[in-house]
Amino acid sequence: MKLVDKLSLWFIGIVVLLTPVTACICYYNLEKKIDEAEITHLTEMNDMAAASLAAGQWPDRQTEGLVTVVSPLTGSLPEQRLNITKTDLHNGNSMGMLSLLTVNSYVSVGNVNYRISSSNYVPSGRQIRAAIMDSIVWKLLLIILCVCVTARLVSQKILSSLRQTIKTIQHFNVKEKVQFPVSRTREFKELNSFLQKMTDKTVDEYAAVKEFSENASHELQTPLAVLRNKLELLSETNIEEGQAELIGDMHNAIEKLSRINRSLVLLTKLENNEYSVTEKIRFCKITKDILAAYEDRIGMKHLTVTTDIDGSIDLKIHPALADMLVNNLLGNAIRHNVENGKIELILTHRRLVVRNTGLPPEMPTEELFQRFKKSNQSSESVGLGLAIVKQICEVCGFSISYNYKNQLHVIQIEFVPVLQNEAAITAHDNVAAAVLA
Amino acid sequence: MKVLVVEDSKEIASSVHDFLAREGYICELAYSFDEAQEKLLLYTYDCILLDIMLPDGNGLVLLKFIKAQKIQSGILIVSAKDAMDDKIVGLEGGADDYITKPFHLPELHARLRAVFRRKKLAGSNIISFNEITLNTDTLEAKVNEVTLDITRKEFDLLLYLIVNKNRVLSRQSIATHLWGDYTDNLANFDFVYQHIKNLRKKISAANGADYIDTVYGLGYKFNSSNV
Repeated sequence: MKLVDKLSLWFIGIVVLLTPVTACICYYNLEKKIDEAEITHLTEMNDMAAASLAAGQWPDRQTEGLVTVVSPLTGSLPEQRLNITKTDLHNGNSMGMLSLLTVNSYVSVGNVNYRISSSNYVPSGRQIRAAIMDSIVWKLLLIILCVCVTARLVSQKILSSLRQTIKTIQHFNVKEKVQFPVSRTREFKELNSFLQKMTDKTVDEYAAVKEFSENASHELQTPLAVLRNKLELLSETNIEEGQAELIGDMHNAIEKLSRINRSLVLLTKLENNEYSVTEKIRFCKITKDILAAYEDRIGMKHLTVTTDIDGSIDLKIHPALADMLVNNLLGNAIRHNVENGKIELILTHRRLVVRNTGLPPEMPTEELFQRFKKSNQSSESVGLGLAIVKQICEVCGFSISYNYKNQLHVIQIEFVPVLQNEAAITAHDNVAAAVLA
Repeated sequence: MKVLVVEDSKEIASSVHDFLAREGYICELAYSFDEAQEKLLLYTYDCILLDIMLPDGNGLVLLKFIKAQKIQSGILIVSAKDAMDDKIVGLEGGADDYITKPFHLPELHARLRAVFRRKKLAGSNIISFNEITLNTDTLEAKVNEVTLDITRKEFDLLLYLIVNKNRVLSRQSIATHLWGDYTDNLANFDFVYQHIKNLRKKISAANGADYIDTVYGLGYKFNSSNV
């Protein structure tokens, strides 16, 4: 719901809630004031009549169109010298529209007690209520209409700064700084200055991290290159068998170090979203190419590979990442496989599934996505392969799962996040397991 | 072959120099952008080894300079960054090949030789050693005029060994040469061993000499004196 709609609704709600209260106040005040005025007037009439009685003159029955009745009273004067009655009239055409207001004054002139009563018609309570009701309905209608119209018009102007800010933020990219619009509203001013600071800092930090990861890569790769090259020169001198073995071990260590460095730098780059893409690539072709690159090693380990690769699968992923993703998955499937094992690779428009035989995992499979987690801690691998795969999936918006079912390691990557039909997938799994077995 | 090595790290430059000098190449070193520019204007080289990150400039700018001056040398770019962009810009800018630090010296040598072959010895794609002849175009290997039935990988391996004959090649270097980026997750030594074993078998079946020595714990060596 838009901000302006929300504000309007609240405003209208409050008005609607308060209107009956104000209507009551209005009604009581109106009736009170009308009666008060009339009573004052009628009392005045009575006083005048009393004055003429005192002067020995029988007062006129009618004064200023009002009827004043003077009647002698038998008995003593009542305690209350002034008595007011109001009765609704229930006959005639004006049924219910008028009330008769009567003021009785009790006076004694000479030795005679008189009752002087003057009456006049005033609008009945019902009539006043009807009038108030009418005006309230009109008032409410007008208020709602005005609020809705003006809120929209005014918000265009007042909230334009906010809208611009939102637009700026939506197009924000960590790679470049943005300028927020100037606003004269205090809240927007504060918001904009806060966002300005935050985005500037983000851009700076990003640049620093990027620079660091680039430097780290360069600064480490060069000494590694020196070490490796010197070892290679050393191995060409006259060395004995024992020395050759030492050099071999050192080569291993350098190889590993170099891989760790490369992987960590890659992970940093992935986290920094440096692999943004706009174009789609042929994912199926990349998969086939990588499969071909591993062909000789698959053959040497006597693995049986079953593939089911759909044609023309275009995915929005950076080519280097696509390559790395399939490379890591397939590399793992071969590495952690057993002699004469099986690999099944299924690629459809929806998902990529790699199933392979292998030793059962020694820890919960989900943990293997963590950095430096290996099923066998002493193994030669670095333990970053699946962490990279996971990070690539996150960057590309894919979801990944790793299960060990029916003696098969199953890694499944969903390209389109969907509400999966679990049952269908499980059924498919079982069929596949049966086929592989 | 005359090679110019443009590399700011003196240790790497001297290693490359020592390695290539043993092949009888003339190898000159330039440690900075300016030095390289000067040498390029004064002398001609068959191949240029070009580091992208230089203290006083970018190797890619130097690449543009080389192309603008119409210098005909083969160019091999070296970078510590395996950033895709550098690779693409470099190759589109007219470089012949690309290698990433930390590289193996035999790998560097093999690539330099390949660049040199393509650039200078136009049409000559035959590499031969004693009874072994390799055709890099048709990927055919012959021993005593008998064509061997070998796979692409075995051909690559044999070529790598012959180009780097009489040098100790570590198993890591062979694995990197054969599989490039696709080595990371695998224990490749067994695969290297199997390829070497198959190659030996095939060569000896064609009555070729067993040139391939095993250097225990380290790797292999194509020994030209084994006849």
